[in-house]
Amino acid sequence: MNVDIQSLGTFNQLAHEGAEQATQSMGQMTGIDAVVDVTKITLLDRADVGEELVGRDFVGVQFSFDGVLEGDTVLAFDVDSAGTITEEMMPGSGDDEAMARSGIEEIGNIMMSGFIDGWADYVGATIDHSPPKYIEESGSDVLPDAPENGDHQQVFVFKSEIEWIDESVNFYIYMLPEYESLTEMMVEHVDTDGDAIPIDKLQTFNEMTTSGTQQAADNVEMMTGIPTAAEVTQISFAPIEDVPKQIGTDTFVGTVVEFTGTPSGYLMVLFDEVSAINVAEAMMPIEMDSEELTEQHKAAIEELGNIMTSGFVDGWANVLQTSVEHTPPRVVHDMGRAIMDPLAAQVGQHQEHAFIIDSEMRTDDIEFQAEIHALPNEKELRAALDDLDVERATETSADVEQIFK
Amino acid sequence: MKVYDGSQTESAAQSTPERIKVGIAEYKVTTEPALLTTSGLGSCIGIAIHDPHSMVAGLVHVMLPSAADIDGGNSAKFADTGVEALIEAMEDAGASTDTMEAKIAGGSDMLDFSESGSSIGSRNAAKVRETLEEFGVPVVGEDLGGDHGRSVKLEADTGNLVVKSANTESKTL
Repeated sequence: MNVDIQSLGTFNQLAHEGAEQATQSMGQMTGIDAVVDVTKITLLDRADVGEELVGRDFVGVQFSFDGVLEGDTVLAFDVDSAGTITEEMMPGSGDDEAMARSGIEEIGNIMMSGFIDGWADYVGATIDHSPPKYIEESGSDVLPDAPENGDHQQVFVFKSEIEWIDESVNFYIYMLPEYESLTEMMVEHVDTDGDAIPIDKLQTFNEMTTSGTQQAADNVEMMTGIPTAAEVTQISFAPIEDVPKQIGTDTFVGTVVEFTGTPSGYLMVLFDEVSAINVAEAMMPIEMDSEELTEQHKAAIEELGNIMTSGFVDGWANVLQTSVEHTPPRVVHDMGRAIMDPLAAQVGQHQEHAFIIDSEMRTDDIEFQAEIHALPNEKELRAALDDLDVERATETSADVEQIFK
Repeated sequence: MKVYDGSQTESAAQSTPERIKVGIAEYKVTTEPALLTTSGLGSCIGIAIHDPHSMVAGLVHVMLPSAADIDGGNSAKFADTGVEALIEAMEDAGASTDTMEAKIAGGSDMLDFSESGSSIGSRNAAKVRETLEEFGVPVVGEDLGGDHGRSVKLEADTGNLVVKSANTESKTL
């Protein structure tokens, strides 16, 4: 089953406009000035959906919808921001639980009706939605269960992050459509055949990336003695100008390489500053116990970035049966978005949208977290997927070690 | 066009200045004493224009040099069309190119892997200057190039542009 880049772009735009409309409705009701920060389509393992919400409490409303598109959607506010929003709507209601709750329900209803209607208008068909259901949950439990489908372990998630300008508070709109109804709809809206992406192969590609990440994690373990596990792996699709926003404004330390072959693109290995210091010191023969990032730390990060990159890229190359080379790593120490920005610009010279491949690894022993982000050239990724032998990929999942040796 | 007249936030504007966030490939114009901010400028450039005469200020965050190089997309993504869009929006809000002044920051050469030719950062900078010159808007302050990222904050009432980097002290243009 093939979908084209154009329709992925259109669907992303739909979700973005829906989120904008929903945010405007809220603005009219409350006077709160908020903007939609990021909208992206992500394909990931159902177990990993909502990983980024862990450790926070949310209130919100859930709807299910059916018609040409089936699934669930949720609007989730941080607990604190929910209180402030209802206070803006109905002064004095912040402390009254019942009023706060009905305020959230009302806002949720208006916001999400706008969101769903936008989709229905575009496809020119009816999408019905259920009455809103009020929820109070922690972490990813705020999201509806990802739709079950025996054939597909992975799900598409549309996620919009909305930022409230005067406060550092974010809220989220998630939409989890049924895989089949979504892909059927995408196929129906294919405009051209020229730039089609074999959608099922994207899943295979994700599985391979997970293996590549595990290889990179094993390399970390080998060099540092710290048991490290691959966590989330996902592939997202977003307009090129939204790509730098995928990374926070915090300061990161890491390495960047350009890789060439099929596909070509850029690959980043990023650590937050604390993780960078911790992992670098684990590699050093002597105790440093430093609070600051020194040149020695950076040298260790360079070495580690290099070996993680190789593990990751070799994983792809082996399964894709292509040759993927990479430049020596360049060490970066800067705000996350500024690191991603020139890479997005370079890719953006040739394409309007981009695929972003993200993985994470963690360890329980010390505070340590690493992110790998790859930004492939879209045309070449498409070509690589086209050539991907699904048979061989199936073998891969059965015997990963043989392929990713 | 995005013009903020502050009518929705009058009470807030009196105490602390309103913060207006400008995303990548976006521009905003204000006639209020607001703070226009944009973050994560790598090879991107933030162009801040201030007209002290009409008290109109605007900020655009451009990503690539020229709209002619790629099909489609929004005007604020490119240095040439982005500067033009910002100037026109400011004129609509009552500003004049006769009294506008520009300050620019960003255009870093960080992570430029191109082996030949100039970096996107420097091409962005060249195109920004060229376009501002076409409109007769002088550049009165700049912090360009280098190998680090920047975030900027434009004080709409004074025209001061505060440039912040991850590893150095902030400076005011």
